[in-house]
Amino acid sequence: MSQTILEAENLCKFWGGLKALNELNIQFKDKQLHSIVGPNGAGKSTLLNTLCGAYPATSGVILYHGKPITHLKGYEFCREGIGRSFQKTNIFHNATCLENCCIAAQQRIGGNFNLFRKRSKNRQITEIARKALQQVGLTARADTRATEVSYGEQRQLEIAMVLATSPKVLLLDEPMAGMGHEESQTIISLLKELKQQYCIVLVEHDMDAVFELSDLMTVMVDGQHLITDTVDNIRNNPLVQDAYLGNDDEVF
Amino acid sequence: MSILSNKSEKIFIYLFFAIGLFIPLFLEGNTFFINKFSTIIILAIFVMSLDYLVGRTGLITLGHAMFYGLGGYIFTILAPEYEAVNFWVYTFYVMLISGFIALIVGLIVLRTSGIYMIMITLALAQMSFYFFADSIEYGGQDGLFVYIKPETSIFGLNFLDLENETHFYYLCLLSLFNCFVFFKIIMNSSFGRVIDALKENPDRATALGYNIFHFRLIAYVLASSLAAYAGYLFALQFGFVNPSMMSWDVSATALVMALLGGLGTIYGAIIGSFVYEGLHYFIEHLTEYWMFFMGALIIALVLTLKNGMAGFLNTLSGGKRS
Amino acid sequence: MDTSLFLVQLLNGVQYGLLLFLIASGLTLVFGVMGILNLAHGSMYMIGAYLAYYFTTLTDSFLLAFIISGSIALVIGIIIERFLIIHLYKRDHLDQVLLTVGLIFIFNATQSFVWGNDPLGIEVPELLSGSIRLTDIVEYPVYRLFISLLCLLVAATMYFTINKTRLGMMIRAGESDRAMVENLGVDISKLFTIVFAIGVFLASLAGIVSVPIVSLVPGMGEHVLISCFVVVVIGGLGSIKGAFVAALIVGIADTYASVLLPQISSMSIYLLMALILLVKPQGLFKN
Repeated sequence: MSQTILEAENLCKFWGGLKALNELNIQFKDKQLHSIVGPNGAGKSTLLNTLCGAYPATSGVILYHGKPITHLKGYEFCREGIGRSFQKTNIFHNATCLENCCIAAQQRIGGNFNLFRKRSKNRQITEIARKALQQVGLTARADTRATEVSYGEQRQLEIAMVLATSPKVLLLDEPMAGMGHEESQTIISLLKELKQQYCIVLVEHDMDAVFELSDLMTVMVDGQHLITDTVDNIRNNPLVQDAYLGNDDEVF
Repeated sequence: MSILSNKSEKIFIYLFFAIGLFIPLFLEGNTFFINKFSTIIILAIFVMSLDYLVGRTGLITLGHAMFYGLGGYIFTILAPEYEAVNFWVYTFYVMLISGFIALIVGLIVLRTSGIYMIMITLALAQMSFYFFADSIEYGGQDGLFVYIKPETSIFGLNFLDLENETHFYYLCLLSLFNCFVFFKIIMNSSFGRVIDALKENPDRATALGYNIFHFRLIAYVLASSLAAYAGYLFALQFGFVNPSMMSWDVSATALVMALLGGLGTIYGAIIGSFVYEGLHYFIEHLTEYWMFFMGALIIALVLTLKNGMAGFLNTLSGGKRS
Repeated sequence: MDTSLFLVQLLNGVQYGLLLFLIASGLTLVFGVMGILNLAHGSMYMIGAYLAYYFTTLTDSFLLAFIISGSIALVIGIIIERFLIIHLYKRDHLDQVLLTVGLIFIFNATQSFVWGNDPLGIEVPELLSGSIRLTDIVEYPVYRLFISLLCLLVAATMYFTINKTRLGMMIRAGESDRAMVENLGVDISKLFTIVFAIGVFLASLAGIVSVPIVSLVPGMGEHVLISCFVVVVIGGLGSIKGAFVAALIVGIADTYASVLLPQISSMSIYLLMALILLVKPQGLFKN
C-alpha cells in the first residue's frame, strides 16, 4: 500500500455565502492517479486551486507528508513540491519551450537572485528542463517559441513546466481540455507513465480518459465529498448513479 | 559581444559609441555642443533605467524623476560646500542612499499594481517635490548649488578634470556605456529570466514558486539608484539641483523617450533621448509653443509606432518584429 | 486656534473637498466604466477655468460664461473620446498614460498660446459677492458657500442618476460586467462617449466655478490632477462613494494642515495617502 502524501481535513472554501468546498476530507497517495469528477460547479477546480495554495482555505487543514501547510503563501506550495497545471493554457508565450521549462526549473535549483551569471551557463537547469520536455515528448520543439507550437503541444508544455519544478504531487486541471482524440491519446499515455512516479490529482471532463487512467476516483457534488472508490466500484455505485448519472448526457 | 541580442542593436551600439568617442575631436572648442551631448547622455541613463522598469519588468511608474532629483540632492546635501570630494566615493553614497530610499518606497508602491501604481508613484514623487520646494534648509524652489566639483582620483591616478567640459563628456559617455552593459548583463542573467517571466505572466510565475514581490523590489531598487546616479551627474554638470528635477513632466517625458526608442530594448533609451531632444531643440527654435507639437507627436506615436525607433531600425535591418 | 477660526477652516476644507470631489468623481467614473485613466483630466479643469475667464471678460456675465464654457467642455470631451480615446480600449495602461500625457502637452501649449503665462483672475459675480456673518466677528464669503452647495447638488444629481435612471443602470452594469452591458443591447460606444463627456464636464465645471476664487496659472491642471489621484487612491479606484468621502478627508486635512502644520502643509495629503496605503493598499472603499 503506498503512502499518503497530500490530504485535506475538513477543508472549506467559501465565496461569500457560496460554499465551494464544504468540509472536504480526502487523501492522495503516492504513485497513484486520483481523479476528481462531478458536475459543473461541484468545486473541482476550487479544490485544485486550494490544494496548490492559489486560494487560501476558509477553514480546515491541508497536510503534506503529514505536516500542515495551510498557512503557507501561494508561491510556497510549489516549492514544497506541489505542482499544478492550468485549465486555460498558462505559459510564457514569448519564450521558447525550453526557456519555459527553464523558468520552472530555476525556482528549485536556485540562482534566482544572481544578477550577473548568464542564465544559459547554468547547465543543471537546462538539463532538468530538457528532461521535462523529453518526458512529454517535446524535445523537437525545444527551441521553438511557445506561441508558435500547436495547441496540443502547448498543453504538453504546460505539463512539462510542472514536471520541471521537480514536484512530488501533480495537480492537473483538465489537461485534455479542447483536445482532439489523437492529442488526448498522447496525454493519456503520458499520464500512464507519470503516475508510476508521481502522485497525480486529475480533474478532467473526458470520462473515457478518467476511467482508463484512474486508480481512485472521487465524486464531488455541491462542494461536498460524495464517495471515493476504485473505478469499477464507482461505475456500479447506485449512489453515484443516483446523484447524477441520471442525466448522463450533461454531467461528465 | 555576446550580450547584444540582434543585428540592429549591434550596429547601433558600435556606431554610437564609436562616434561618441571621437566626436569631441571634431567639436574642438565648441563647448555648447559638447555640453548638450553630455546632457542628453545623462538623460539617456535616466531613460534607460526607466525603460528597464517599464519595458522589462512591466512596472509602470510616473514617479521615476523623484530618484533623479534625489540623486542630485543627496550629493549636494552630503558634500561639504567648499571642498572637493571624491567623485567615486560619492557615486557610492548616492547610489546606496537612493537605493535604500527606493527600497522603502518600493515596499509601499509595489504592494499595488497597474493604474494604482501609476497614480501612487506620481503622488509620492509630488510629495518629495513639495518636501524640497517647501524646505528652507534645502533652498526651497531655488534648490541648492554645487560650488566645487568633485575630483576623480582613483588609486592616486587622476585623469579626469570635471571642470573640463570634454572630460565631463567622456565621464558621461563611460557611465552610459557601463549602464548599458550592466542592464544587458542582468537581462541575460538568471535573475533576468525571472524578470522576463513575471513581466509576461506574473500569475504563472507565482504558481511556479516565485515570490514576484522580491524580484520587482530588486528591479525597482536597481533602476531607481541608476536614475539617482543620472541625477547626480546632472547636478555636477549644471552646478545646481532644484525641485523641478522631480516634477511629473520629467517622468512623463522620460517615458515618452523610452517609447520613442522602443520599450524594453534598453538601447532604445539612447535613441529615444537623442531623437526627442533633437526634435525639442529643433521645434523650440521654430516656435515657443513646442509642447503643442511634442504632444501631437506623442499621440501620433502611441497610435502608430508601437515598437519605437528600435523596432523600426530592427525592421529596416531585416530583423523580425517582436 | 479659536472656535470661529476653526469653523471657518472647516467650511474652507469642506468647500475644497467638495470641489475635489467634483473633479475626482469624473476621473473615477471614467475609469470605473471605461477602464481608462485620463491624465488629461486636470487639463480639463484648467481649460474650464480659462474658458470661463475668457467668456466672463468678453460677455461681462459670469452666468453666460458658465453656460458657454460648460457646453464647450462637453464638446471637447466628445471630440477627444471619438477621435483619440476610442483607440485605447484594447490597449494597455502605458498607452493610456502616454496618449493622455500628449493631450496635457497640447492643452498646456494651447493655454500658454492663447492666454499667456501671467496669472489671471476675475471678480466674484456681484450677486454672490457678499459675506455671511457667522459669529460676531467672523464672516464667510457667500461665493464659497455657493460652490459647496453647487457641488452638493451635483453629487446628489449623480447619486440620483446612477441609482435611479436608465443611464445610471448602464453605468453600474458597465462597472461590474462589460460583456453584460453589450448583451443588454446597450450601444456601448455611445455609453462610453456619454460617460467620458460627463467626466470632462465635471472637471471643467470645477474649473469654471473656481475662477473667481483662484488665480489662473499654467500648471494648475496638473496640481489638481495629482490631488485627485490622492483622493481616488484613498477612496478606492472606481468608487464614487469612496471619492466623496476621501475628497472631504483630503480637503479638510489639507486646509487644517496649512494652518496647523505650515512646514509640511503641501506634503500632508501625500503623507496621509501613504499612511492609508500601508493599512489598506486598495483604498478605503474598494468593492
